Amino acid sequence: MGMVMVIESQGLTKQFGDTMAVDNVTLSVPQGSLFGLLGPNGSGKTTMIKMLTGQIRPTNGQMTVLGINVLNDPIGVRKSVGIIPEQETPPSFLTAMEYLAFVGAVRKIPDIDEKAAWWFRFLEFEDKRDVLCKDLSRGTRQKLMFAQAFLHKPVLALIDEPLINFDPIMQRKVKEYLAEYVKSGGTIFISTHILEIAEEICTGFAILHKGKLLYSGAISELAGKKQHLSEFFFSQVQDD
Amino acid sequence: MQGGLAMGLDLFGSMMKEEWRLHSTMFGSLSFALFPVLIFGIVFMSSFLLPLFRAVLPAGDLALIITGVFLLLGVMVGGFGLLGNEVMNRRFGQMSLLAYSARSLPLSERYIFTNFVLKDIVYYLILWVLPFVLGFAVASPFIGVPPGYPLLLFASLTLTFLFGLSAIFFLSTVYSRSKSALAIIFAAVLVIAGWAYLSYGTGLADLFPPLQLLHNGAWPALIESCVLVAIPFAVSIALFTPEYTGTSKRFSNLLTPLTGKLSFFPYPPLAAKDLVDLWRSGGGVGQVIFSFLLPLGLIWFFMSVLRALVPDYAVLLVFAVIAGIISATMYTWITSFDTFCSYACLPVSVSTLITSKICTFTVLQVIPAVFMVVVTVITGGILYLIPAMALWCAFSFYSLSVSIYLTGLTPNVLVYDVKVLLAFMVLVGVPVIIIIALAFINPYFGIAALLLGIPAVGLVRKGYKRWEGKDMASF
Repeated sequence: MGMVMVIESQGLTKQFGDTMAVDNVTLSVPQGSLFGLLGPNGSGKTTMIKMLTGQIRPTNGQMTVLGINVLNDPIGVRKSVGIIPEQETPPSFLTAMEYLAFVGAVRKIPDIDEKAAWWFRFLEFEDKRDVLCKDLSRGTRQKLMFAQAFLHKPVLALIDEPLINFDPIMQRKVKEYLAEYVKSGGTIFISTHILEIAEEICTGFAILHKGKLLYSGAISELAGKKQHLSEFFFSQVQDD
Repeated sequence: MQGGLAMGLDLFGSMMKEEWRLHSTMFGSLSFALFPVLIFGIVFMSSFLLPLFRAVLPAGDLALIITGVFLLLGVMVGGFGLLGNEVMNRRFGQMSLLAYSARSLPLSERYIFTNFVLKDIVYYLILWVLPFVLGFAVASPFIGVPPGYPLLLFASLTLTFLFGLSAIFFLSTVYSRSKSALAIIFAAVLVIAGWAYLSYGTGLADLFPPLQLLHNGAWPALIESCVLVAIPFAVSIALFTPEYTGTSKRFSNLLTPLTGKLSFFPYPPLAAKDLVDLWRSGGGVGQVIFSFLLPLGLIWFFMSVLRALVPDYAVLLVFAVIAGIISATMYTWITSFDTFCSYACLPVSVSTLITSKICTFTVLQVIPAVFMVVVTVITGGILYLIPAMALWCAFSFYSLSVSIYLTGLTPNVLVYDVKVLLAFMVLVGVPVIIIIALAFINPYFGIAALLLGIPAVGLVRKGYKRWEGKDMASF
């Protein structure tokens, strides 16, 4: 029985002036996976996520997310998925609670007060719920962005650098949450340059370097090659 | 003072470079560099019309109007400069600007702020004042203007501009320390200004030292002008308090009940967010005063000189048109708080957001609507209330539609693009000339301005298509 692919891209390319940020990337992400897009800084990971969520248009190529053609219906994609951008940007003059209420109202999520309260407790920032977003620390803003992505329990979440700005305790909590989320049927697509995180939690991965896709496969394949992810990653990147 | 002169020059130079790159990376170096060239060109060509203007308007009144424009410019640049920091924070992040990254260096906040103020002064003098004066200076040999006059004009307009800037910095510094102190100062200024206007009429303006300098070129006027500028600046810098983020204020949830109350809006949460943003940023009151009432008050004052030449109703109707165009700048108030990236995680399209901003803008138009009614009644123009309101309303929404078409969700950034500014001047300027000409024939012909609603709808629809297709990049 074929696997259902929640993300599919064919020949995806994005050029900014003379710079080829993403170069002819063909990628498939299966349902029920915790998939990591890995690459050094400036390899095109954030650009990929922005294209997949309809924030920017590709120069060439096609892509579907949850069967939706992103070019034709970017709003439809963003209705269905949860997104955590690389830079935390909640609105400055709303409080943390108001921002979750805002997201709840835009997404028409019922019982938003209860759901928000759960997230404040879970991510341990209840004391910040009435503080303006512009006065929150980076770590707290990251928690808030994490909460807003999962408020509507999306079947797919796209997360750019999921653990950045989190302390070790919070990192463990979030990793456990993501793993549990996938076990209950969701799919998580993360982009990161921290290989240890990917090796710990991902079931599938792809390596992006200078905009090009060097490899895509399951983490379990590395056991057959008797390599750690970091060794494999460096071998791929250095050969390129 | 920490830092020393060499350090100050380094910091100043780096800030200037940063300001240039901020604008040139948005519009392209050539496009932005053409902005002062455009001003130079317009002034150069307009200077040849001076003999025609002189036949209609005394030279003194023309000088008064130009002084008023540059005073207004100083006020608006100062207002944006202070509110603009908040805008820049949201677009680029605090640590992206030198003014904030210098906090990691052994420099005092006051030293950094002083450099920032000096940078703004020099930068906007080069952007606005210098090209204006140069345009006039180059034309002056051909129009019979004495050789020293352009230099006098430069000094006068520079000091006028600086006075506007320093006054806003001073008032904003007081505002940040004590809102009640600002209210008292404002009330006192209004009372004194009102009494002085009743006593002197427009002759009051002749007491303004930079204008006296322009008329008589005398040393006392120069010294008085410099003192008038230096004192508010010095007090602002002395009273400057850096922001400490040690304690954060807490706020109860305003958004949810407001969203419920705005259920008749097409997008209630978006509208509620706009109003909360305006209220909590302090921008609501500040913007109303510094970006609306103050500029229009100055415009009304300087337009009063035209009463000697045209019927009172004509002044009122021209003022209504100008008020409409300035009312449209309220669109920049509600688009300045965050970039589209704040909405990029949500199923919200650019056209949805623009539609929501139009609705919020419409609510805010209550302010200029009440203002126009009051001005019309106070000036005895009650008979012309309907054409005045029609003109104000038509040009407010038409200018809004032009802004949307040309700039999307980033009007206060793209206004510095030469191509955008030229297009705005043409698209708004042509109907202004036509409608004012009609209103001068018969004031009730001004009601025809309401027909601008048709192209306005077309421009907004074109704006949706245009900006929906663009990448959601932040500037």
